[in-house]
Amino acid sequence: MSELTLLLLRIGFLILMWAFVFAIVYALRSDLFGTRVRRMPAAASPAAAAASSSPAPAAAPRAPSSPPTTGGPPARRLVITSGAKEGLELALEDDQLTIGRSADSGLVIRDDYTSTHHARLMLWDDVWMLQDLDSTNGSFVKGKKVGAPTPVPPNTPVSIGTTTFELRR
Amino acid sequence: MSSTDAAGPTLEAAAPRVTMTEAITIKLRTPAKLRNLELLLLLVAIGITGAAVALVQLGAIGELDLTIIGYGAGLGMLALGMHVVLRITAPDADPFILPIIVTLNGLGVAMIYRLDLAEGYVGWEMAGVRQMVWTAIAMVIALAVLLIVRNHRVLARYRYVAMLVGIALLLLPMLPGIGQTINGARLWIQVGPFSFQPGEIGKIALAVFFAGYLMTARESLSMVGRTFLGMRLPRGRDLGPILVVWVAAMAVLVFQRDLGTSLLYFGLFLVMIYVATGRLSWVLLGLTLFLGGALIAAQTLGYVNNRFAAWLGAFEQQNYDAIGGSYQLVQGMFGLADGGLIGTGLGQGRPDIVPLAESDFIVASLGEELGLVGLFAILGLYLLFVARGFRIGFNGTDDFGRLLAVGLAFVVALQVFIVIGGVTRVIPLTGLTTPFLAAGGSALVANWIIAALLLRLSDTVRHQPRLVVTDDE
Repeated sequence: MSELTLLLLRIGFLILMWAFVFAIVYALRSDLFGTRVRRMPAAASPAAAAASSSPAPAAAPRAPSSPPTTGGPPARRLVITSGAKEGLELALEDDQLTIGRSADSGLVIRDDYTSTHHARLMLWDDVWMLQDLDSTNGSFVKGKKVGAPTPVPPNTPVSIGTTTFELRR
Repeated sequence: MSSTDAAGPTLEAAAPRVTMTEAITIKLRTPAKLRNLELLLLLVAIGITGAAVALVQLGAIGELDLTIIGYGAGLGMLALGMHVVLRITAPDADPFILPIIVTLNGLGVAMIYRLDLAEGYVGWEMAGVRQMVWTAIAMVIALAVLLIVRNHRVLARYRYVAMLVGIALLLLPMLPGIGQTINGARLWIQVGPFSFQPGEIGKIALAVFFAGYLMTARESLSMVGRTFLGMRLPRGRDLGPILVVWVAAMAVLVFQRDLGTSLLYFGLFLVMIYVATGRLSWVLLGLTLFLGGALIAAQTLGYVNNRFAAWLGAFEQQNYDAIGGSYQLVQGMFGLADGGLIGTGLGQGRPDIVPLAESDFIVASLGEELGLVGLFAILGLYLLFVARGFRIGFNGTDDFGRLLAVGLAFVVALQVFIVIGGVTRVIPLTGLTTPFLAAGGSALVANWIIAALLLRLSDTVRHQPRLVVTDDE
């Protein structure tokens, strides 16, 4: 084995080591530099409204009561619109979120009206469905009590106990 | 096309799925993104290890020796087995810990094997082969820890047992008969042909105890006390625990004659009490106590005095020539200097000149053959490992888990600092092992257990609720 090959091999080894270090750093970049913040309240919502307004005219005459944003990509955020933690936002990363009083729920709501395992949000074919898990006081989508799994379109109020939230894109 | 239609069909599509449980079991199986990332990084880690061993052989003997590479491949399979177990028992565990420690461990094995080649050892004489066996044992024990400790909160229940175990392990080398003095430090026990360093396991037990104790005591330690010069000073009666730990650390210094271990235990307690209470006064108080003790020890204890002299005047002739003087330290530095920026290349330097090159001075050996560039990559890996540990602690929701993760990660960080600081003459040289790299079975087992506990903690952390809404606020 010639000197030159060995030299190249050993420099290659150092590069490999550093590539490994940087691969790890790249994989955890969101941890090191923070996740990219979405500027949502002021700037993004008019844009979203503008974007959703184009399919709306077609849909609006047929079903004015339904929100115009049901189709398309599924909601990725859960925003609490009223209740103890009003204004808080939760990213919907998995395709399931359990809601209830127990500590193993994904969203823990502790008030007098919530059951231990109260309800569950599930993503079925890009549509979020709310299933009530036989709770005592019920879950409400747009004020209607939920029996069988019910689709939850974006920007529709869902009430569980004293907390109301909406799903948003 | 329109949105209203979308809601209708899905309802009907949902209707056949009335047997809800089926749908649920499918939905609960989320793709193991973290584990796939881990697998990818693990394969790279095994590749780095294999490349290191191959380069050592090419550099030192000029040809490939497939038996040793075969042993290494066996260890790689074991690491992959660990990955599979993680997939099943801890699918949400941190994906970076296993690849990082496999790389560090592999680099250590390669360098120890390289030193064996330089010494001309064969077969079972080779420290490298023994290190491989210890790695296998350590991995199996780590697997057992992962399988037995299914939830870290169980450990909190055994905090006083952990305290007794920790103290017993600390005191074990003092027992006549099995206790053994090697290079002046009384840290080993010898039973038959096996020698073991019980203090290595002891540090884990003490971390568990400190976490459990501080979980209950943090309120009284942080809330009460007088403010003086902008710091809240603790009450007299709250000083008890820190004094007990200080006395224990000083006892290690005096009776077991080991500065590094003493510093490690005390530093661990100090950091955990700081994390638990958030009061800087504890750190200042502890550092004052320890430095005071160490300075008195340097005056009165001969070996500490020698270490200080060898550190401050390493290049003076009388220190260099003295027994237990600075010969080793200076040779290590010559090695590092010879390595320069990119090193002499694996298998092509002379790291075997340094005494204890495979254990205490493995960093100098690696620095000589991989150079500053390689050494910094190793330090980067340590940094990432410790950062993951702190991150796991930061994400934790219960006090015990947070303290334990931070404590375990800090033990590794402090050990790296003490060893590499000693080798590079930042602090006096002390006899601690470089985690995962240095030859020595007990240290390997202990560090793999630490990694297993961190993996377990990170898995439980991710199972925590994402958001908690309570009325009473």
